[in-house]
Amino acid sequence: MPAPNSQNYNPPPTKLLKALSHPWVWRMAWRDGRSERKRLSVFALAIVSGVAALTAIHCVKVSVEAAVDVQAKALLGADLQISSREAYETADTEFISSKAESLSREVAFSSMLFFPEADAAKLVQVRGVDGKFPFYGDIETKPSAAWQLIQQQRGVVLEASLMDQFGLKIGDTVKLGELNLTILGVVTKPAPRSSRFSGIAPEIYLNLNELEATGLLGTSSLSFHTLYLKNNNAEQIKELRTTYASKGWRFETPEDRRDSLGKTLDVFQQFLGIIAMVALILGAIGVASAIQTHLNRRISSIAILRCLGCPGQTAYAVYLVQSLALGVLGALSGGMLGILLHVSLLHIFKDQLPITIEASPQWLTAFTTTAIGFAVCTAFTFLPLSRISSISPGRALNNFTAQGFKQQGRSLLAVGSFLFIMLLILAWFNIPDPKRAAGMVVGLAIVLACLGGTARLLIFLARRLTRRSWPYLLRQGLSNLHRPQNQTHLFLFSLGLGAFLLLFILLAKNAALERITLSDMKDSPNIYLVDVQAGQLEGVTTLVKKLDLPVLERAPIVTMRIKSIKGVAVRELQEKGKVPRWILQREFRSSYRDNLSNTETVVAGEWSTNYDKMLTTVPVSLEVDMAKDLGVILGDELEIDIQGVLIQAKIASLRKVDWSRFNLNFFMLFPSDVLKDAPGFHIVTTRIPEGSSSGQLQRELVKQFPNVSAIDLTLILETVNSILQKVSLVIQFVVGFTLASGLAILAGTLLNGRDQRLRESALLRTLGASTRQIQSILVVEYAALGFFSGLTGVLLALTAYIPLSIWVFESSAWPGVFLPLLVIAATTLLSVLAGLVLSRGVCRHSPLEVINSA
Amino acid sequence: MKIGHLRKRGLGGILPATLMSPRTTDEELAKRMIDQDKTSSQKNSELNIVPDNALVNGVILEIRNLGKIYRNAGHELTVLHSVNMDVHAGESCAIIGPSGSGKTTLLGLCAGLDQPSQGHVKLAGEELGLLSEDQRAALRNRLVGFVFQNFQLIPTLTALENVLVPLELRGQNGEEEKAEALLAQVGLKDRLDHYPTQLSGGEQQRVALARAFIHRPALLFADEPTGNLDNATSEPIVEMLFRLNKEAGTALVLVTHDPALAAKADRVISMRAGRIVSEENHARS
Repeated sequence: MPAPNSQNYNPPPTKLLKALSHPWVWRMAWRDGRSERKRLSVFALAIVSGVAALTAIHCVKVSVEAAVDVQAKALLGADLQISSREAYETADTEFISSKAESLSREVAFSSMLFFPEADAAKLVQVRGVDGKFPFYGDIETKPSAAWQLIQQQRGVVLEASLMDQFGLKIGDTVKLGELNLTILGVVTKPAPRSSRFSGIAPEIYLNLNELEATGLLGTSSLSFHTLYLKNNNAEQIKELRTTYASKGWRFETPEDRRDSLGKTLDVFQQFLGIIAMVALILGAIGVASAIQTHLNRRISSIAILRCLGCPGQTAYAVYLVQSLALGVLGALSGGMLGILLHVSLLHIFKDQLPITIEASPQWLTAFTTTAIGFAVCTAFTFLPLSRISSISPGRALNNFTAQGFKQQGRSLLAVGSFLFIMLLILAWFNIPDPKRAAGMVVGLAIVLACLGGTARLLIFLARRLTRRSWPYLLRQGLSNLHRPQNQTHLFLFSLGLGAFLLLFILLAKNAALERITLSDMKDSPNIYLVDVQAGQLEGVTTLVKKLDLPVLERAPIVTMRIKSIKGVAVRELQEKGKVPRWILQREFRSSYRDNLSNTETVVAGEWSTNYDKMLTTVPVSLEVDMAKDLGVILGDELEIDIQGVLIQAKIASLRKVDWSRFNLNFFMLFPSDVLKDAPGFHIVTTRIPEGSSSGQLQRELVKQFPNVSAIDLTLILETVNSILQKVSLVIQFVVGFTLASGLAILAGTLLNGRDQRLRESALLRTLGASTRQIQSILVVEYAALGFFSGLTGVLLALTAYIPLSIWVFESSAWPGVFLPLLVIAATTLLSVLAGLVLSRGVCRHSPLEVINSA
Repeated sequence: MKIGHLRKRGLGGILPATLMSPRTTDEELAKRMIDQDKTSSQKNSELNIVPDNALVNGVILEIRNLGKIYRNAGHELTVLHSVNMDVHAGESCAIIGPSGSGKTTLLGLCAGLDQPSQGHVKLAGEELGLLSEDQRAALRNRLVGFVFQNFQLIPTLTALENVLVPLELRGQNGEEEKAEALLAQVGLKDRLDHYPTQLSGGEQQRVALARAFIHRPALLFADEPTGNLDNATSEPIVEMLFRLNKEAGTALVLVTHDPALAAKADRVISMRAGRIVSEENHARS
């Protein structure tokens, strides 16, 4: 043999890290994996979808955030936006203007727009603007000068949807209140939106100074007054915030808008990211299972190598290299697919986004998510790999009862701990809050533990409950569930997890949609006529009845704000964070009447219209959840500002309100004689029969009462419905990645079992079994696996859904039987079909050929 | 005489028979192996010859008071009871006995594939109980060849690659010609690129033989080498085993339940119920 210092003397090292860089280890890994490449590659596909989903989601978020950062000012159109529900006093406007390089004003409100040529009307969001708004970003119109034209002449610019709906063209006339307006152009890219109502109704733009002539100013309850400032001086902006802090105005800078958008994106991205994580983890489990099965076939080879002198860690290194190769293959493929998805999604949806996002790859993010996917996959493969060290070389000898392929307790603990840390890192990468990330990992571990536990239970039951009196085919099929090297665990993980996710998402989506579905009850309104002035109430009521429509409710509305609670000023409570901010800044629309409606019940105190009018406090009935949020009980006092007039109100009763009904419900109700002289307006509700259009009512209304707006709830709910459907589609698309991971595992598992099926079938056929009998055995096995996978997934989904439905959607906890049964049937059918398809060649091989090759 | 015989025929380096201190480190063991190689290559021609001081009284394998007990779920099973045995360099020794007599267990302990419950095994003077698993593996790679009943070829390697594994494990690359020559010697010149599944049982066993001898081991362990073969196929295998034993001077320890095969060995040790019950010497000069 050559001297040790000769050139080709380079034995594999005994330590793992050094062995990983030794050529022999890589050569051996390549040679050993030759016959299994196709099979192992199928399992590598399992992590492709998870990595692709994670990459796509994070890349989209980074792209959007980058665009928002750059275009934040264009999102707002100004350096500062100040919004109020009331008109600004001249002194305030002048002071604010003195702090700005440039100032624009806007008044926005909802109103009916009449289209004379179409003899139709529609609820629109009117935006009267002056000055050079937007200071940043562009509004695009056709013709391009139309936006400037409305500042120079009387006219209006409409959204394209209105033009299309009513067959309008530039130059046609529309009527807003008392004013006829010429259409000067069409908006192709709208101005930044300030009002929350915008987005539901189409927008029209005109000069602020024209609003007076419409006769609508001051009559709309849904109006917003906005000041837009161009001012780069952060100190001056801060000064304005401080000076007017007590006014109840809303101040928003581009940073605020960016943060708010970012929070929304974060929530959505985290939710989708969780689903992508599940897909990745499922894929990693699949890869680990592939390695486990692969190692089971290699026990003899490993024992021989150790017999021949291969150090333990060198043998480990050979199979670690194979696992790493699988992980790299899967992760890289997933990363590339994720980049492709990211670019495609941005390209497809570019017209629907409020900002311009460049559809170019985010390489750093893609690299990070790919690396994380690879790391998680590798971490899972350490579980089966750690068993290599327990393979005794004595296994190479026949009948040698050396210690077998068992997990060492300490190594299992070490690998398990490492795996848990990797999962925490993955979760934290997706959810920056460490507690929530940890909660997510624990939750997922519970789901996986339930699936694993069900697999063990199924194995136990199959072993114990099978009776000799049962038909042979049934017994044989069930025995395959618990035989050595069975596929029960993998099936439960892949199909069970997929069933759980799919059903849970579907149930949650249905519950959310149900919340916005109108009830079919005859007394449930679907048209709200708002801004009915006191003197118009009878006229509007008569008009509605004249059209053979029912007048379901009429309610007076008075706007008010809470100034103090139990003697403590609202501002102080806000600083202490004791009461939700939205309540303290809210402009309440309250009402007064002498009786309760059928959607409310008094749960505490007494509803009464009799009270001592000599007292300075008036009774008020609060909605019970509102009272909880305010931290008040019966007898507590509120100071309320009713358009400049302060009143003291004592809580006389608490009401439970059925908010699921669309009747007129109020947080605060007063006896009628408390507020009957207060300035306000009325709402009248009616119901248009299903299938009919509200067009005639709107037409007549706009002609006789142009200030009255008709809010068609059906149209609004349809818009919200379509948004929810789109969101649901995106979620289901991402869930599809989890299903893809599951399917890859399923395919790989079935491929793994194919050899065993071949041998069994050959033996059975040798003993006289027919093809039909062999297939029956397969059907029994796969049907049992699919059924229990589906059942476990469904039970897990229901366990997660029931608390959600009770506490979040406040709806019935029972989702019905159809969907759960459908999911169970689908997983069973899928399992049986997949098993039969992949086993289709099993019965075609000659028994002799199979037995000889064994 | 045995030592002179080895010197004439040439053999791979064998460790000095000096006792090693307990818990020899890998580095110390490797250094001794390298030093021994240097000494041998300086003294001898292209094939290393066993130095005179490598063996103690020519004993390549020494077993003293060897016992093995398996404990499993409260049961104790004594497979070997105080076995004592020596195997000399170049000797052929058959261990015969019925199923369950402890033959395979004894073989495995001799090769360092498992740890005894009592007693010790010295392989070329190295006490296996004082070595770590990796050290025993290294020792096997240097000194030991194996032939198994069910051939135990690595199924994902070709015949040629299987034969090369022992050399590759000690870092010797580029020895394809040597492996090809050995495979030709066993009649498989045209099957170099064939996988085990493409070879018959006899052909697989011949590949296993070539693998066992490629690195010129001092000791060959054969566990029922013809157990899975018919008579016609067994004969050439047996003939090759004993020929290589004589020509290369490799000591042969053969486990079998076939008396006719056992009779071909220099010495036959009979076992029953974990004990050596008799020993016959057929040594031919």
